[in-house]
Amino acid sequence: MAEFVEADNAEAIFTRIEHKSSKIESLLKQYKPVEALKTALEGSPPVTKDERCKSANWIVVHRAIMAIKDIDSLFSALDLEYYDVLMKYLYRGLSTGDRPTCDQCLKIHEKLTERAGLGCILRCLADKVNTV
Amino acid sequence: MASVSVHQFAPCITCHAWSPDQSMIAFCPNNNEVHIYKMLEGKWEKIHVLHKHDQLVSGIDWSRRTDQIVTVSHDRNSYVWSQEASEWVPTLVILRLNRAALCVQWSPKENKFAVGSGAKTVCICYYEQENNWWVSKIIRKRHDSSVTSIAWHPNNILLATTSTDGKCRVFSTFIKGVDTKHTSSGSDSKFGELKALIRWSPSGNTLAYAGHDSMIYFVDEIGPSPSAQSVAFRDLPLRDVLFLSERMVIGVGYDCNPMVFAADERGLWSFLRFLDERKQTSNAKYGSQLSGTFGKLYGQSKSGSNEANESSRTRAHDNCITSVVPLKKTRDATVTTFTTAGLDGKVVTWDLQQQQDLMEYLQG
Repeated sequence: MAEFVEADNAEAIFTRIEHKSSKIESLLKQYKPVEALKTALEGSPPVTKDERCKSANWIVVHRAIMAIKDIDSLFSALDLEYYDVLMKYLYRGLSTGDRPTCDQCLKIHEKLTERAGLGCILRCLADKVNTV
Repeated sequence: MASVSVHQFAPCITCHAWSPDQSMIAFCPNNNEVHIYKMLEGKWEKIHVLHKHDQLVSGIDWSRRTDQIVTVSHDRNSYVWSQEASEWVPTLVILRLNRAALCVQWSPKENKFAVGSGAKTVCICYYEQENNWWVSKIIRKRHDSSVTSIAWHPNNILLATTSTDGKCRVFSTFIKGVDTKHTSSGSDSKFGELKALIRWSPSGNTLAYAGHDSMIYFVDEIGPSPSAQSVAFRDLPLRDVLFLSERMVIGVGYDCNPMVFAADERGLWSFLRFLDERKQTSNAKYGSQLSGTFGKLYGQSKSGSNEANESSRTRAHDNCITSVVPLKKTRDATVTTFTTAGLDGKVVTWDLQQQQDLMEYLQG
């Protein structure tokens, strides 16, 4: 029974992620990369233990992260509440080992650390519950 | 500067405590000994070395009324030291632990003390007059991991603990024959994530705890539905906290600089400022233990490390601060002077009387 509920929940999450994905695509077409990243980070990480959901969400966030060109303007528009979750996704990006992804994540990481401090990194490392 | 005096006692200090009249300090210089220093003619002189433990002393507490020192150590034992003539005489307290003891604190009435341990237990120890012996009562089956910090409620019955299983617990330690009446209303509760330390406010209405996640949490109305607040801050995590008043908390830790947290009129807590002066340059945030690593990561190791050296010279502590202890209490339980000690072996005394911007929180 519990498994069934989990599966149903996963379905709902997938639907939401798909919806989010199409919204991000349209925002990117309108040259609004910061809005796209905000949309991607909203409701992230999904409240589930299902790794497939987390991966699906990561693909969406990754798409938005890679679309960021001007990092300074990103931080002038991004609110404080997104910092912690963005840091988590940056570390996920760095863990992929993919060259362009790592380049982009390191660039954003530098600026984010300047703004949010080392506490943000520590919170990201210490959180074992809401993993991305 | 808010720091009144800085004294280098040892290469490294793991814990410290003051005598009731604050003329003497007891600390562990990161080994199995406890050193007691006294201020004699304006100079700190080592007057006693308490040598009985076999391993690192992890906790010291000096009782205010009975003038006894309790120490706990990784050797799984605890001693209560009382002064007879000019010597400190130890009494062994058998804790019956199979792991290290990690922290100790006298209860407010000082008829009991509590020991947190790596054996997933808390021991409540009390003195049995008829047997002339300290008895340890183990509270089991409550913690799923090491108990890293303990704090007594002012009512002498409730004990708050933090554990590496990620929970804070508040429970009654009523002991028949030692405590006169059972005042607690069954307020056993659990909350929180990975936590490392815990403290009560002077009135016992608010509980503050912090962990390794650069957050500090405040809980009011302990009970079935506690109301919690969390404050995320931008710097390294805390190792110890101290309530100065109902509305002000000092946090010390890996950032080598005490932080001031305060509650506004509505009871909302926030980070106020650092206590020690700190240059607000763009690279100042790298002036911590991680400076080298981050400097290298961003290819700016030169500017980063120079900045770190410079800022550590201007600050009282230059390594992680491990403990903060109140020094003088005014009549209404408000603390204005306190000391901090850390891995750099310094004991720094802080006085907030001159800090005009903080006084409103101390009086409130």
